[in-house]
Amino acid sequence: MLRVLRAFAWMRWRVFVNSLERTGSRDTMERLSLAIEQLGPIVAAVTLIPATLMLSAGAMYAGYRLAGDEPISLAFDILRFVMLGAMALSIIGPIVMPINERPNAVRLLLLPIPRSALYAAQAAGAVSDPWVLLSLPIVIFLAVGLAAGGAVTAAAQAFVAGILFALALVGLSTLTTSAFSLVVRDRRRGELLGLLFILIIPIISMLPGLLQIQRDSHERRTARSRHERPMPEWMHGTATAVFGALPSELYVGATRTAVNRENAASAGSAAGLAAYVLALHGLALLAFTRLLDSPASMGLRRSTGRSESWGLRIPGLSPGASAVAIAQLRLATRTPRGRSLLLSPLLVFVLLAVMLQRSGGMDIGALPIASGQGLATFGSALCLLSILPFSMNQFAIDGAGLTLELLSPLSDSDILTGKMAGIGLIIVVPATVCLLIAFALFPGGALALWISIPLGLAATYLLVAPAAALISAVFPRAVDLNSYGRGSNAHGAAGFLGLLTFAAAGLPAIGLTTAATAIFRSPALAPVLLLVWCAIAFGIGRLLLIPVSRVFARRRENLGMIV
Amino acid sequence: MELAVETHGLTREFGSLRAVDGIDLAVPAGSLYGFLGPNGAGKSTTIKCLTGLLRPTSGTMRILGTDPLADPVSVKRRTGVVPEDLALFDRLTGEETLSFIAQVHAMDVATAKSRASDLLDLMELTSANRTLVTDYSHGMRKKLSLAAALLPAPRLLFLDEPFEGIDAVASRQIKELLLSFVARGGTIFLTTHILEIVERLSTHIGIIAKGRLVAQGRIDELRAGAGIGKSLEDLFIGFVGGEARTHASLDWI
Repeated sequence: MLRVLRAFAWMRWRVFVNSLERTGSRDTMERLSLAIEQLGPIVAAVTLIPATLMLSAGAMYAGYRLAGDEPISLAFDILRFVMLGAMALSIIGPIVMPINERPNAVRLLLLPIPRSALYAAQAAGAVSDPWVLLSLPIVIFLAVGLAAGGAVTAAAQAFVAGILFALALVGLSTLTTSAFSLVVRDRRRGELLGLLFILIIPIISMLPGLLQIQRDSHERRTARSRHERPMPEWMHGTATAVFGALPSELYVGATRTAVNRENAASAGSAAGLAAYVLALHGLALLAFTRLLDSPASMGLRRSTGRSESWGLRIPGLSPGASAVAIAQLRLATRTPRGRSLLLSPLLVFVLLAVMLQRSGGMDIGALPIASGQGLATFGSALCLLSILPFSMNQFAIDGAGLTLELLSPLSDSDILTGKMAGIGLIIVVPATVCLLIAFALFPGGALALWISIPLGLAATYLLVAPAAALISAVFPRAVDLNSYGRGSNAHGAAGFLGLLTFAAAGLPAIGLTTAATAIFRSPALAPVLLLVWCAIAFGIGRLLLIPVSRVFARRRENLGMIV
Repeated sequence: MELAVETHGLTREFGSLRAVDGIDLAVPAGSLYGFLGPNGAGKSTTIKCLTGLLRPTSGTMRILGTDPLADPVSVKRRTGVVPEDLALFDRLTGEETLSFIAQVHAMDVATAKSRASDLLDLMELTSANRTLVTDYSHGMRKKLSLAAALLPAPRLLFLDEPFEGIDAVASRQIKELLLSFVARGGTIFLTTHILEIVERLSTHIGIIAKGRLVAQGRIDELRAGAGIGKSLEDLFIGFVGGEARTHASLDWI
């Protein structure tokens, strides 16, 4: 068994080290691109060291204060929430991890190793997950702090509870990994789950923020307070009981009661943790065994609808560019990540619309939203921003399809124009829906300003599009659009430059609208100015296409090789 | 003799590695040219240079009488390619893939639909024509890739390992298809590791080893030059120097 564990530990180490080494780069630009891409994991690894040191010191201090009969300590409460966060990450982490970084069950099955040993190796591998790694110094140094404060017995009890908590985290992580692999074994089910995950998680995470950003209107608050009702007693009691039964809370309970010399209560919490460990690892082993029994995809073949694909052509584009644009649009509507790009701005927008209707106004950062026009502008910007993972990696996302495009009789201009049009179409649908919803719910304001919103968006996109093509050609990244996290994101540098480009390209449109309304005090002037700006942006975009085409021509080979 | 593919001193380097080292290809029009070589010899790199996926470091090329570096679009209009990685959009259906090819070749819809129907029938993909390529088996992808290459009725086909992962029935169908393509005046540039296929189909061969073209010509002439009774396998091993490897002692197996 030890030999197997050692082999797996060595393999993980080599995979990590090899991922940091320079491989496969063909020129200086690609070396730079790879170096930037590798910077992220290196920075993460480096920041893990001070984070570990800080947590160790914090845990030791919290333990010392606890031993000094200070039952409520800020440091201990902070650690408590860190552990709660570690638990959440044990569930989310394995799901958002790129597919190629997960253990391959088929490959494992081919090894001459018993399944129990394979499970042990998989579970041992989970110890190196950052959320488990960051929990270990807490449970160790909290006990050390308690011992240093003179509570030696409590330290021993806390240490045992801490180890059980860490084992529970490992079990949770392993169970999530195997259960998720079982789900995504059926590709269609996996994609559906992925889509739900992508859409729901950001919205859930946004809800508290949205509730906070309601405008601080005293009158509204007073009015609301009259209608506020306390949470029902049974609901409050259930929530407290569920929260108290979480492994991290059991660990906190075991430690606190140990310090208070309530040995029976402490042992009870530790027994609860032990039960968690047994249950989680039992379930994880069951899921892992099930996965090994049938690791291959069980998905049925999917057919598309009976839509006519022949003769479909986007007006104003050459046949080649139109074909590229349609392929791009289909990629967006048929991959989990692509669908999320279409749907997530809409969902966020709907949430904001509901909030606006309830509160009558709100501030998002420095941006005040008090009208339908403000909401529609925000929705349009959101649609443009949400497309960044696609637009800033527009060539590599095609995968082998890009090779087909490069082998086809398409000019560079056809490919670039087709991509720009395709991505533009992906933005048009949700942006139009946002505009229509905002207009239907909050129809007030000058009509001229409503017309200005799509014009501003169009002008911004006309400037962003060539820059996005340039950035995508320089920083391509092979991605898997079925994955839900880093695996489907654009190159880090491309994403950052994309944000800057978006901000810079949007400024003139905002400036012109502001000038029309605030300086000239004529909202009717805004669409005129923006229409002129659209024409200028189109001209600038066409001019920018010349150098972008040259860069693309030089990068064709690298792009073909990277996918 | 009219040449469909002609290169002079074609070279491609990757850093210090010279993957293709000054090769002079001469592929006659109307021939089925088998391009052979051991793993890592430079076959795929050569095909990538000829099809425009890689730019040669030096040397000249003419494909169907045109310099592909000077006028790549014109060359691509007259050639079809089945590359090593098959180059298909995962999220298009079989029919949509062919529709994409028809559009980029600016084919009229009626002709494209009729040809696509014929090809899908021939490749036994009609029932899967509305299935996403991501759900195709390897063999189905290969057949679709071949159908996509044939759809615009090219005069020259580049096929990189077209028989790999194909079942015996489909393999026979594809062989017959390729022979009829050549019989109608088309030219095929084919790489494969299956020497029997080259022996049965090819009129000409070229053998590449360590980036260099070590033999080229009509298959019967090369065989006659090597001696009576020599098979293509003997000929191939003789040219690439594989004899030494077979003498290695592996008693422990």
